[in-house]
Amino acid sequence: MRDKKEKMLKPFGAYWTIKLFIGLHLLLLTSSAAYAHSVYLFAWAEGDTIYTESYFGDDKKVNDGLIIVFDPSGKEILRGKTNEMGEFSFKIPQKTDMRIVLESSMGHGAEYIFKVDEFSDTVENTEEKPEIMEPNGSSSSVQDMDTKQIRVMIEEILDSRLKPIARDLAMLQQKRGPGLTEIIGGIGYIFGIMGIVLYFKARKK
Amino acid sequence: MHISEGILAAPVLVSGASLTAAGTVIGLKKMDYDRIPQVAILSAAFFVASLVHIPIGPSSVHLILNGLVGLFLGWVAFPAILVGLTLQALLFQYGGFTSLGVNSLNMALPAVICFLLFSGGVKSQKPELSAIASFMCGFCAVFLGSLMVAVSLYTSGEHFLTVAKLVVIAHLPVMLIEGLITMFCVRFIKKVKPEILEVVYER
Repeated sequence: MRDKKEKMLKPFGAYWTIKLFIGLHLLLLTSSAAYAHSVYLFAWAEGDTIYTESYFGDDKKVNDGLIIVFDPSGKEILRGKTNEMGEFSFKIPQKTDMRIVLESSMGHGAEYIFKVDEFSDTVENTEEKPEIMEPNGSSSSVQDMDTKQIRVMIEEILDSRLKPIARDLAMLQQKRGPGLTEIIGGIGYIFGIMGIVLYFKARKK
Repeated sequence: MHISEGILAAPVLVSGASLTAAGTVIGLKKMDYDRIPQVAILSAAFFVASLVHIPIGPSSVHLILNGLVGLFLGWVAFPAILVGLTLQALLFQYGGFTSLGVNSLNMALPAVICFLLFSGGVKSQKPELSAIASFMCGFCAVFLGSLMVAVSLYTSGEHFLTVAKLVVIAHLPVMLIEGLITMFCVRFIKKVKPEILEVVYER
């Protein structure tokens, strides 16, 4: 199912994407253990900045939660506190996979793995030489500047426009605990099955 | 204690499924017309119990209530737990469909074993003995369940002692809580509707 979701998200870019830290799933049995804690963390990249937002299961923002970012070898890259909106952002110090860990009060925590190939390629693109070749040197550099500037501008506009979409998708991607519908539905199913069994047993009598 | 899909080896899955099928058949044969609503209620309780997370211990674990289900249902615990786990897999994405057989076996067999071990004590007229037996029933059902989870993981290649320690320690608080829940349930039922217990043990 996760793969499917990722494929669906691809059209929006190798722009951002967060992967749920599935280590816990693999570690043991309880698939529930991974999302049992009612704290959620999601993150997305914009240019060379990663934005994170943290909230509790009841949509309350995590104020003053500690965010620690680790590199793949487990070394701490940086740490910081979320503001009262549960937000925290940081510049990418180096382009590697990252594990973002949230520690809020009372042992609640959430963590995510950020894959390097899911970063936006904005940073490299702006430094790339445009492929337009002009015989005249001076006009080439003007063209060069223009293309670069346009590119940066477009990136900026796209970033600001896509930010809410990226945010919503990141939120949708989170696994939340089962809702009231599922719980009541399940109980309903059980009593429905009971009715069917009773019906057939009654007919036999 | 749901084992997810793609973790267990095929032989473990198949044998788990076939043993669960056998247990379910026995359970269905033993299920009388009058007791079907009771089975449904306990199945629903089992279904919902998995949502009650216990925030103590090294990892977050949830209630199972297989001891309670076993105590009141005996062999019928198999179909009741199978239905509960199926719906949990379907609606909560707990566990998975291929591992459904193993998961049901891991929860239902301890329930039946505890029923056979402790039912004599539970129906005792002495309140202390009854209380101890019902506590043990709730406690041991989870304990045996976690051992069985460890065994299923072991037969699929994990290191037994490591896994067993992890699972059993993680579920220690659950064992205690379920022991107490079972104890209070039995005491309550004995006061309010003692015939429920009598009916179960007549057969």
